[in-house]
Amino acid sequence: MTTSHNADLGTTNEITTSRYFDAPRELVYRAWTEPDQLARWWGPHGFTNPVCETDPRPGGLWRIDMQAPDGTIYPNTGRYLEVVPLERIVYTDVVDDDATAWGDTPPPSSVQTVTFEDTNGGTTVTVVVRLDSPEARDAMVEMGAIAGWNESMERLDALLAAA
Amino acid sequence: MPATDQLSTTLSALADPTRRAILHRLAHGEATVNELAAPFDISLPAISRHLKVLERAGLISRGRKAQWRPCRLEAAPLEEVADWVAYYQTFWNDSFDRLEDHLREIQRGNADDNQP
Repeated sequence: MTTSHNADLGTTNEITTSRYFDAPRELVYRAWTEPDQLARWWGPHGFTNPVCETDPRPGGLWRIDMQAPDGTIYPNTGRYLEVVPLERIVYTDVVDDDATAWGDTPPPSSVQTVTFEDTNGGTTVTVVVRLDSPEARDAMVEMGAIAGWNESMERLDALLAAA
Repeated sequence: MPATDQLSTTLSALADPTRRAILHRLAHGEATVNELAAPFDISLPAISRHLKVLERAGLISRGRKAQWRPCRLEAAPLEEVADWVAYYQTFWNDSFDRLEDHLREIQRGNADDNQP
């Protein structure tokens, strides 16, 4: 198995996920920045992306409308804050204010940092999701503490599994 | 926003190390006030005050019948926080799976293109 990933809740307001891809860095970077490629893999299993627009330069906007298997559209939009070709992309991810598809619990707005590194002939991609409201930041700090307890606590383990 | 209010209440209740320790203990099962107070070098009234904060935040409930009113962990307020974490984990794990497939496909395509 050439891939690995982890989600480290840590004790911060960040969720970090990384994975090794058996592909050259340029290819991986283009898959992130070219809309026709991005649309083919962004989002949970079974979702499609009927709208996918990118403008990878500082200040540029992106927009992705994810469509669930049941047809519901989940719009996301944001702005590129930093773009270092082949190395690093920083962007905001904001749930569309007009979107009702997310219901009462839309994901919190975040700033996401994606880095691309050469590793063993392939590329390691790391995504850091930083929640940007004060409440969300605090919540992530507490969540880190809770996740630490989780190792020894069956009830919270069950809670996390069910969530 | 009601959700933020609930979240703020949850967070301020969780902000105290004694209250976190109490929740930690309750995660293993119900306990009485005396049992909860035992590990701490603080008075029963002080423990009771902490329990009231936790109860108001909906993080614990207390039995009504027995005079010692056992306390129980109520995990629901933590779910909103857990949901966010689960959302991002699922999102990126799934997206990475799909990106992996996509990269494999285009590399196979490139290799085919290079065939004589």
